[in-house]
Formats: sequence, C-alpha cells, structure tokens
Amino acid sequence: MSRIKTCVSLYSLQDEYLNKRMSLKDILWFLKNNGVEGIEILPDQMIHGAPNPSEETFAAWDEMIKETGMTPVIADVFLNTNLYNNRTLTRRECVDLLVQEVKMADRLGIKLLRLVSMTPYDVLEPLLPTLEKYQVTVALEIHAGMAFDIPQTQAFIEEMKRLNSPYIGLVIDTGIFCRRLPRVVANYNMSIGGTSEIYDFVNARFDEGIDMKQYFAANGWTDEFKALIKNGVDEFFAHTSDGYENLPYTVLDEYMPYIKHFHFKLFEMTEEGVEYSMDYKGLLEYLHEKHYDGYVSTEYEGNRFVPAGEPMMEKEQVLAHQAYIRKCLKEIQG
Amino acid sequence: MFDNNVYIKDTCKNVEENGQVIGYEMQTNITYYRGIPMSMIVKIEVCEDGVQVPAENIRISVDYVDWFTLSEAETAVNHKWEYGEPLYVRVLKEGGLSEGTHQMVLTEAVRTAYIPLPLEGTKTFEAVI
Repeated sequence: MSRIKTCVSLYSLQDEYLNKRMSLKDILWFLKNNGVEGIEILPDQMIHGAPNPSEETFAAWDEMIKETGMTPVIADVFLNTNLYNNRTLTRRECVDLLVQEVKMADRLGIKLLRLVSMTPYDVLEPLLPTLEKYQVTVALEIHAGMAFDIPQTQAFIEEMKRLNSPYIGLVIDTGIFCRRLPRVVANYNMSIGGTSEIYDFVNARFDEGIDMKQYFAANGWTDEFKALIKNGVDEFFAHTSDGYENLPYTVLDEYMPYIKHFHFKLFEMTEEGVEYSMDYKGLLEYLHEKHYDGYVSTEYEGNRFVPAGEPMMEKEQVLAHQAYIRKCLKEIQG
Repeated sequence: MFDNNVYIKDTCKNVEENGQVIGYEMQTNITYYRGIPMSMIVKIEVCEDGVQVPAENIRISVDYVDWFTLSEAETAVNHKWEYGEPLYVRVLKEGGLSEGTHQMVLTEAVRTAYIPLPLEGTKTFEAVI
C-alpha cells in the first residue's frame, strides 16, 4: 500500500512572482483555495535574503503558513560552488553554506532539502552532525541530463550508501521518463529562429524507444546530427537535447529505499487532460506497487517555453496537472 | 529562454546628481529562476544607438546604495540580486541620453550552480527621453 501525496513547487509560478502579479502570500492562498495542501519552495527564489533572511521575513513566513495552513514540504537548495570567478569553493566553504541552508530550513519548518544536481559527495559526512541535530534530510536531485549515469551522481550515491543515514537520500525529477520530446520546447525554439529538422530527428529517436542521451552514448555527435545545426538556437538545443531522457521506471528499483521526493515535471497539460511527454498514470502505478510513501510535486517548466506575445498559463497548467495527478491517485490508491 | 526577463519596461531614464545629468540608467530582472550574489554576474552590456558602451562606464547596484563597476562586482559576494527585484544598470555619460528616441540593447548573463554555460538574455528596446 502506497501513501502518495501531492504538493506544488512554487517554481511553477515563477513568472507570476517575477512580474509581481502574485506575491508569495497570493500564491499560497491561490493554491490553498484550489485544494493544494503542500508546497515546495526555492528559498533563493521567493525568500529574500536566503539563506539568512531577516527576522521580519521569517515572521511574515510564519504568518502566511499559519493563515493558510499550508504544509511546507521541501526546500530546493543550490550550492554556489562557482561563487567566485577564479576558483571553486573549498569543501569547508561548501559545508558552511549548506549548514546555513539547513538552519534556515529548520526555522522555516521544513525538514527536507533538495540538493541541486552535481553537489559534491564529500560534503555529506561533515554535514551529517548538523542534519542529525536539526533532523533535516538532504536529497540529491536526479535530473535528466545529470542522472544516474554520470560520475558525480554515482559518487554521491556511493557515499549515501556508505554513510547509510536516514538523513541522506534522493529526489527524482521525472524528466528522466520522457516518452517524447516536449513539443513546447520545439515550438518555442522555432519561434526564436530554430529550424525544424533537428526536432524531427530527436522525435525519431524517441519513436525508436531511446533518447538523445543514449544516441550520443552510442554514436557521439554524428555528421548527420551536426548537419542539422543551422544557427545558434539549434546549437543551444543540440547541447541540451540529452536533457529529456527516456528511461524505464525499473531504473528506480534499487533506489526506492532512498527516494524521499519526486518532482513531477510538467511541460504541457494537453486538452485530453494528460501531460504531453510523461505518462504519470504509469509512473504512479509503478510507485504504488513499490509502496512509495511521500510527496510528488508538480513542477511546471513549460513557463520557460512560452513564445513572446503568447499568454503565460502557469496557474491553469498547475491546476490541470494537480487534477490529473489526483485523479490517477484516486484510481490507484482509492 | 530568459530573454523576457531582460529590461523592465519604461525604466530607462537620465540620472541627475547635484543638478547635473551624469548619465542614464535602467532596471532589469535576472536571467535565471533564483537570486544569486552579484559576484556571479558575468556580463552586463549596453548598446546605445548601435554603439557599444565601454564596460568602464557601467555601474551596477542591487540596492541603489552600493554601486560597483563590473570588475568590482566580481567580489560582491554579500550583495544578492534577488529574483523579482531589479538590478540597476547605470551608464555614466555627461548629459545622459539626448531628448528623443534611442535604440537600446541590454545583454546580461549569470553563472549558475550546475549548468555549464552562463544563462544569457538580451532585449532590444526603444528608450524615449
């Protein structure tokens, strides 16, 4: 029996916030009024002064959480290892920054931190006493393009297993389960000058049941692929085309005991009421069979791919996705 | 991807100090989805009527109190450019922009925590003085 709950990442509503159509408080009320009970927050996005906000900011947060009754599920933490342009932060500097993030999260009432992909594994052991003291868990994000196959992720996983602490785990971003390329990406890129053939090529790889990551691993950048790059827009896409992976759910089998949270990535809810690239019913069925007990978080990223002049539909997309996930869960969990 | 974040509409104007127009300034949002210290800004470029403004004439601030050259900003690790709050970009130019319409291009780029390439954005706009 699984116990899967849903929440919404405030990343999904970043354009509303950036352009001051909605404040953090407005966003929390909007979600609350639409039946959402939990949130994921990026402190660097919506908590000014993070990781050391003022007492005034903390007090305003407390008030918002109390008023709305919203559960702050998880905070997404970034590690600015490239804070300086002439050197990478030392391990001690990284740990010091993460300690600040843990303390802030604890103060915000959040007990789970998402560590950004590529976070160096060697911060974990020195960070552990702080995690134990505050009873805060850190979990590395497994993100398409930087997933299980890369050395940095593998090193983190090895260290996580070695330390074997309940305070260290993984967050899975479902961009690793794309069954086709998000069409909003292709459409947006073509609206700024990209050419169409490169998308036909990528779509053909998905039709074959693979993805560009697997294609590059087997063939490298072939002349056939390179010939499709006609301009800078194509070039940028070519370099990011392996960021949409097509892995089987079973890739999670061995990691299930460590998985603390899911980013349910959303590129586009279609008129049929499903997500264009990912089969969430199938994934939820898999998680149900595996007895997953945790949150799945709507993370709308289609907002990055709205052509100039077209309406931003963050709120509508988030609500449609939440309705879809809840419907799936009702069917699966009862 | 973040071009729409560049330049906040209608913010380009001349700046006066002690009764003298010392230049002009504009505001822009960050080309990223979160706030970062100013030291992670890798590029601020202004092009005025087809002419690139020399980097040494540009000053930037996140609080309108502490102003930095682009080179100085590389060490500004305690000044955070917040998501949803502007960076003030000032161009030192005696007399500022002349009355009328100017074709401006603002380009910015920032380092991120895990993406190998800086995130860059650019906006072309008309400034009416």
